[in-house]
Amino acid sequence: MNLILEKHALPDLLQSWRGNYDVYLPQKMERFSHFMPLTDNSVLVTHEPHNTRISPKALFLPMTEALVKFTRFGGYEDAQQVIQPRIIFAIRPCDAQAVQLLDTSFIQEAYTDPLWLERREKTITVGLGCHEPCQTGFCTTVGYGPFNKADLDVLLTDMGDAYLVETLSKAGEDCFQGLPCASDEFVEQALIVQRNAHDQMPVAFETENLKEKLEQNFNSDYWETVSQSCLGCGVCTFLCPTCFCFDIVDETQRRERVRNWDTCMFRTYSLEASGHNPRPSKVERTRQRLSHKFVYWLDQVNQIGCTGCGRCVRYCPVGLDIRAMLRQAQTLPFEVSHAG
Amino acid sequence: MQDNGHSPYTPIPMHVLHAYYESTDHSLKTVELSFDHAADSQAFFEAFNPGQFCLLSVAGKGESALGVASAAWEGNFVRFTAQKMGSVTTALHGLKAGDAIGMRGPLGNGFPLQDWKGKNLVIIGGGCAFSTLYALTKHIHHESHRDDYGKLTLVYGTRTSGLCMYKHDIAAWHENEDMEIHQAIDVPEDDWLHHVGYVPDVVRQVAPSPVNAVAVVCGPPIMTKFTLPALVELGFAPENIFTSLEKRMKCGIGKCGRCNLGPKYICKDGPVFSLAELNALPADL
Amino acid sequence: MPDLDAIKTEVRRLLADGVVEVVVAFKPGDTPLHPQPAFFHSPEEVDSLVHNGLCQNNLATFLTHLPKTKKVGMVVRGCENRSVNALIVEKQKSRENLYLLGVPCEGIIDWRKIVEHVGEAVLAVHENSDEVTVETREGQFNLSRNELLHASCLRCAHRNPISADILIGEPLPEGDPNLARVAVEEFESLTNEERYAWFQKEAERCIRCYACREACPMCYCTECFVDHIEPRWTESGATPAGMQGWHIVRAFHQTGRCTDCGACERACPMDIKMTYLTEKLNNDMRKKYAFEVGLDIQTQPPFATVTLDDKNRFSV
Repeated sequence: MNLILEKHALPDLLQSWRGNYDVYLPQKMERFSHFMPLTDNSVLVTHEPHNTRISPKALFLPMTEALVKFTRFGGYEDAQQVIQPRIIFAIRPCDAQAVQLLDTSFIQEAYTDPLWLERREKTITVGLGCHEPCQTGFCTTVGYGPFNKADLDVLLTDMGDAYLVETLSKAGEDCFQGLPCASDEFVEQALIVQRNAHDQMPVAFETENLKEKLEQNFNSDYWETVSQSCLGCGVCTFLCPTCFCFDIVDETQRRERVRNWDTCMFRTYSLEASGHNPRPSKVERTRQRLSHKFVYWLDQVNQIGCTGCGRCVRYCPVGLDIRAMLRQAQTLPFEVSHAG
Repeated sequence: MQDNGHSPYTPIPMHVLHAYYESTDHSLKTVELSFDHAADSQAFFEAFNPGQFCLLSVAGKGESALGVASAAWEGNFVRFTAQKMGSVTTALHGLKAGDAIGMRGPLGNGFPLQDWKGKNLVIIGGGCAFSTLYALTKHIHHESHRDDYGKLTLVYGTRTSGLCMYKHDIAAWHENEDMEIHQAIDVPEDDWLHHVGYVPDVVRQVAPSPVNAVAVVCGPPIMTKFTLPALVELGFAPENIFTSLEKRMKCGIGKCGRCNLGPKYICKDGPVFSLAELNALPADL
Repeated sequence: MPDLDAIKTEVRRLLADGVVEVVVAFKPGDTPLHPQPAFFHSPEEVDSLVHNGLCQNNLATFLTHLPKTKKVGMVVRGCENRSVNALIVEKQKSRENLYLLGVPCEGIIDWRKIVEHVGEAVLAVHENSDEVTVETREGQFNLSRNELLHASCLRCAHRNPISADILIGEPLPEGDPNLARVAVEEFESLTNEERYAWFQKEAERCIRCYACREACPMCYCTECFVDHIEPRWTESGATPAGMQGWHIVRAFHQTGRCTDCGACERACPMDIKMTYLTEKLNNDMRKKYAFEVGLDIQTQPPFATVTLDDKNRFSV
């Protein structure tokens, strides 16, 4: 269903949801925008030329959360999380796509992560398409786009004074009840905005045969070249909407076993108790990071594990650019595989 | 994995039945754990397969992945042998009968016993990684399983005779006529009646036949690295050589990302892989 | 502004004559806003070398990434030179294995401030001592250099490399040493409650990515205290206690070692202010011990030395 939402009516609409939902939306924090709960005086920030600094994956997989509680007599119980029904407003299509990708890891037949599942089931996502795509993003290159609808209940298109509201699920429809229907002409104009945005985005790198090239050059000097200036910090992976690795640590004083975001870029990530480290330097760690996204995700679910949000490009403290790294990978030799 | 309505991250409550040193230098300790709840026990044994592992949990220290060293028919308990290494295994070494402990499991795939039926088995172990092979051998030894398999050949090497685990059973196996057993130590000792040398060399010397046979290797990485090619030399096809891998693990259920080997997670898709599978994966160990 | 051709000529000579095996400097990044640290091994590679106000990192941090015995050349600004010296004092590198090409520095431009002014679609950046000209698709923007400088650079007292093997370009007038003190006094003038509120607000935004640690030349420990398991020194997660623990102990470990280059703040993806803590400690070092980090390659930081005539006996 296509509806029109005048921008001046948005604050009241957002407030009206508060009765039934926790509402999260991008708001100003220091010099950037960050998903925070709606309060009486929240101001929506969507005018920035790029996405929120921290991806909304943090709303599904918090940086730190308790998994298990230690009981007094040496026992264990599930850590209880109270999760209210919620609406994430103005999530960008790349970030929504990322959450859907992460479902393939957290929700599986054999083992499902109960905390992830509960948050997923209780969340309605209202997406905001990118009518002015950001400079570092490359969503179209990895097969998605600035108006990608994956995992959204509603997709908004910014049309100046109003949004085109495209409802994509019953839950989404319910949130926008009572709005006027958009005329065919308005929808047509919105499609032009969407197409223009899509066409503005250059191809950042070729994805054809990229998997084979990375795979077959596992022992190449290429990895040394692209990892040389890497500092070994967690910026790229912590800001990444599809990176999901976590550590499990006992916090004795809290009497909890918690999980914390972790990253393959840290030395300690794969360090074993014996002292052996299968990935002893930034060469192997960089290889793992890129291969996970552009090889292993494809092996596992036949999708690239990167949605092109551009955060790693923008915030890498040494200016390492995954797009340039992958363009360089495209120059590597490879053999066409005839198997399968 | 237990299906008790709890989070897969929450350990089930267990108690220590027995705890004893396995090696003369006290670096290895065996614990036998009993279930606090009958339902957990039932769920465990319905899912259990030799070659699987569990995460033993010490509150405040963390969890440690250990291979199951007992067969289901042995009774309503689970056995593990831990080498004192990190903070969790150090805490495990402090356990005594009656102590409470948490456990998650069984985890991983275990040995593909169905596929091995009717075949001769060559079981090659080194050091404390022999624990799951011990469980495998015990499993096969049971009268209701023994006829499912052909000839059994066992090669077990340790650095010293004092580090040899499960001595009582192994001594008995030497008397057993339906299996061939070769024990080895790295350096000569007085009164040692068996092989002296490294496991790959002993395997070459013993030269088990690859005809209608599968070989399974569990040992320290360096031993496995040199034993796999020895088996290939002897004519074993990569599809018929199996090994169990180890990597740092946290969640045990393929979520935390840590133990990946290419697109596979050792905790969920392994720990048991055939050499053919490993050859198709990146060398990231 | 630095003479880029003169830098390249000297780097080529060092590599061609085998004076060093590698030169650490910068090369252009994928966008003009992000030059990248780079390792030059042969004279032919040197064409791509750049050196400008957008070079954010303290290159001295790479010194401990390289083998100790490797002959290393490095293009250094004032702060980098002092960090290198501090590393030599701590025996992380010997001076004989180093060749420093000094370049006087007019301050590092904070790329985030440029983006705030003109957006992200930056095509080119030109700079001189007063102005930064940014070309975007929308046109050309002239911005005041001073307004774009990073906070640490605005109060920098050591713009010239002090112990370079060769200085490229004329020395600049040094900064006013009082500026650093003024910044600290501003923080000190707050009440306890205000100071704690400030600290909380900054520290608790942390995501524990440790970009500050990795960007810092002095954070070279093989095992950082936060990674230590037995005993655990601080909470592991992104909890108030964990984040405060990290920031306060990190700062204290820098006592008498920090050159206030500001690389930690520039690396932080959450725009966390950190130098107010390290500068406070630096100020204490100056006041109580008349010690300034990295001015030579012999003097140990006060907290790393014990002498028999110490006023305090370190006994209770």
